[in-house]
Amino acid sequence: MSNLPRGWSRRAILKGGAALGAAGVAGLPMIGSAFGQDNLLHFWQFYAPGGDVKTQVDWFMKMADDWNKQSETKVQLDYVVNNDYMNGTKLSTAFASGQGPDIFIISPGDFLRYYNGGVLLDLTPYISAEAQADFPEGVIASRKVDNKIYGIPMELEPMAFYYSIKAFEDAKLNENDVPKTWDEMLELGKKLTTADRYGLLFETQPGYYQNFTWYPFMWQGGGEFQGADGKSAFDSPAVVAALKLWQDAINSGAAPRQVNSGGWDVVANLGAGYCAMQNVGIWGISAMDNNAKDVPYGIFKLPTPKDGKYVTVGGGWAFVANAKGKNPEAAGKFIAWALASMDKDSIQREVDWCTVAKSDMPTRTSALQQGADAFNKGKLGIFSKDILPGVRAEPRLPPEVYKIISDAIQQTQLGGADPQATATAASQQLDAFLATYKGAPMM
Amino acid sequence: MSIHPAQRLEQAAAAARPSRRGLSARHREWLAGYLFVAPDFIGLLVFVGLPMILALVIGFFDVNGFGAFQFVGLANYQRMLADPLFWQCLRVTAIYVVLLVPALYVVGLGLALLVQRTGRFNSVMRSMFFAPQMVSLVVIAVVWQLMSSDKVGIVARLFSSLGLGGVSILGNPALALYTVVFITIWFLMGFYMLIFLGGLQDIPREYYEASEIDGASKLAQFRHITFPLLRPTSFFVLLVSLVAAVAGSQAFDLIYVMTKGGPANSTQVMIIYIYQQAFQYSAFGYAAAMASILVVILLALTGVLFVLTRGGRFEHE
Repeated sequence: MSNLPRGWSRRAILKGGAALGAAGVAGLPMIGSAFGQDNLLHFWQFYAPGGDVKTQVDWFMKMADDWNKQSETKVQLDYVVNNDYMNGTKLSTAFASGQGPDIFIISPGDFLRYYNGGVLLDLTPYISAEAQADFPEGVIASRKVDNKIYGIPMELEPMAFYYSIKAFEDAKLNENDVPKTWDEMLELGKKLTTADRYGLLFETQPGYYQNFTWYPFMWQGGGEFQGADGKSAFDSPAVVAALKLWQDAINSGAAPRQVNSGGWDVVANLGAGYCAMQNVGIWGISAMDNNAKDVPYGIFKLPTPKDGKYVTVGGGWAFVANAKGKNPEAAGKFIAWALASMDKDSIQREVDWCTVAKSDMPTRTSALQQGADAFNKGKLGIFSKDILPGVRAEPRLPPEVYKIISDAIQQTQLGGADPQATATAASQQLDAFLATYKGAPMM
Repeated sequence: MSIHPAQRLEQAAAAARPSRRGLSARHREWLAGYLFVAPDFIGLLVFVGLPMILALVIGFFDVNGFGAFQFVGLANYQRMLADPLFWQCLRVTAIYVVLLVPALYVVGLGLALLVQRTGRFNSVMRSMFFAPQMVSLVVIAVVWQLMSSDKVGIVARLFSSLGLGGVSILGNPALALYTVVFITIWFLMGFYMLIFLGGLQDIPREYYEASEIDGASKLAQFRHITFPLLRPTSFFVLLVSLVAAVAGSQAFDLIYVMTKGGPANSTQVMIIYIYQQAFQYSAFGYAAAMASILVVILLALTGVLFVLTRGGRFEHE
């Protein structure tokens, strides 16, 4: 006896199922064609429309709306969760299957991977000579190959130190006591360390971000990972000193082996009272102002080694277009219109991103002038006056080089390895890789 | 409802007769069986079998993740041999497996023995042991990360109260892997407890009653009744925990969220390294070659397990 409802039969259900399946299969090409419309550009990023910072969502939405009002080719914002965008599989699998977005954003750390993969569009033809000159060479260089521009940076994010004013006051210190040398920094770190607080905090998790934050300490003593001869320069006293600095911070007990959330998160660490001084970037201003309003804090530039030179690193993301996308030309035009036109709106867009949506330094000279009032006051003013002059662009490295440097940092900082032996071993690995590397130049 | 003998005869005759489409009842039954199995079989073939074969093939190519394929023969395998990090990851994976599989077996069985008797208290305890399974692994990882935070985390404070201040259980390369193993055991123990409980319930009570009459101690009962009769369950637990330890989601999710393979690669198990090579470094060919080797290792270990335990069969089978 059948348990089926009256009027139903097994055969009818099977027929219906088969019909539905066939309809689904028949509909697949239509889904593909909908995704593949030439007049709709997909812009993947981790800000809008699903982001949780309203000012950033608004900025992206307004940009897309403004473009869509005046162009036949429309831009659709596709939000990808931050962690999935940076460390997940979404972008990689999309490109691997030929379904990469038309427009997306990348950091310098990822530039060579995409450039060497042949998917970055040359944006130079869409940008006027005047606009090209508006980007300081130090900012745009890491997005250029053979003098052609492959990415337009939307922000410049220099690294600095943030400190807790309360922790300083509790230790009878004030803003005049901020450390200026590495030795002073380590001493102060120890002095500010208590039973439930660390004096100093560097990133401890392996990754692109940790490398990014370590580079300026290497540069300050004159260190480089590659010499002018194209060979490794990693086995140098400056590199060893930078590795040892981070190791000493851990061994002295002034810095933690683990950070809360991530070393980039100033609220979860400095804001939560986990540390008294934190190595973090300019984005920390808006993070603290929005999420740790009650925590008074100050900012100072990176201390230098004895006889060293002040240098910091400036990161930041860039708009790039997929050269293998559906309509690369329209994507190139959009990026140029959005961030690299001499039009007043384009410049103001950059100012708004850096002062309203986020707290960043602009990547254009004109934006720095147009938004001078905002950039020169308050905490942003500390960055533009004290910190920015020593900024050096985040290097672009292939993943293999990034990993060698990452391992060297980790082994010395947390593994207790000898800095000199580690630098020597890493240098040998670098030389072995550089001998076979065929991609665009590293910087 | 009873069936008249005449009707029964009619039905039997109909079953033996070929249908109007030319299939006998037995063939139709046979066909129906395969049709019901077909969706699972096709799913496994498309989503497991085919990717495995493709991964094996991709291992012989240089694949940059942007559409470029270049046949490189055994180059990816040669690179593997010369890659110190590959060997380091293999070593970390081996330690992880050696610690995790026996520990899960012992803890799972131990908990099952503790709570096997019915009763309200044991029901509550079973629920508590199983509770971690109800929470997402990512949430588990984040919570443990907070609890393990240096100085201010609950674990650090506990150590500090024991005179072990300054211990960083996730930030010290000498401790991080053991911490991950501990958390994994805590997470999975309820699941294996449940499997063992099922196995324990299959053992006839008469055996225990007879042994009690003979004066057997609890330990003797365990040695001579419980443990031998749990053989099929033990095999299943060892097999599943072995696969989980080598390639399970907890091996990836927990480590990825808590340590990202650090500190100093001390928790970098093979699947984390494979993931990084494929999705962060775009070295899909190299990642596929490593994945193929991992599958071979897993097959070899499973084979050894089959031989050692006779596939969970009893001596008389």
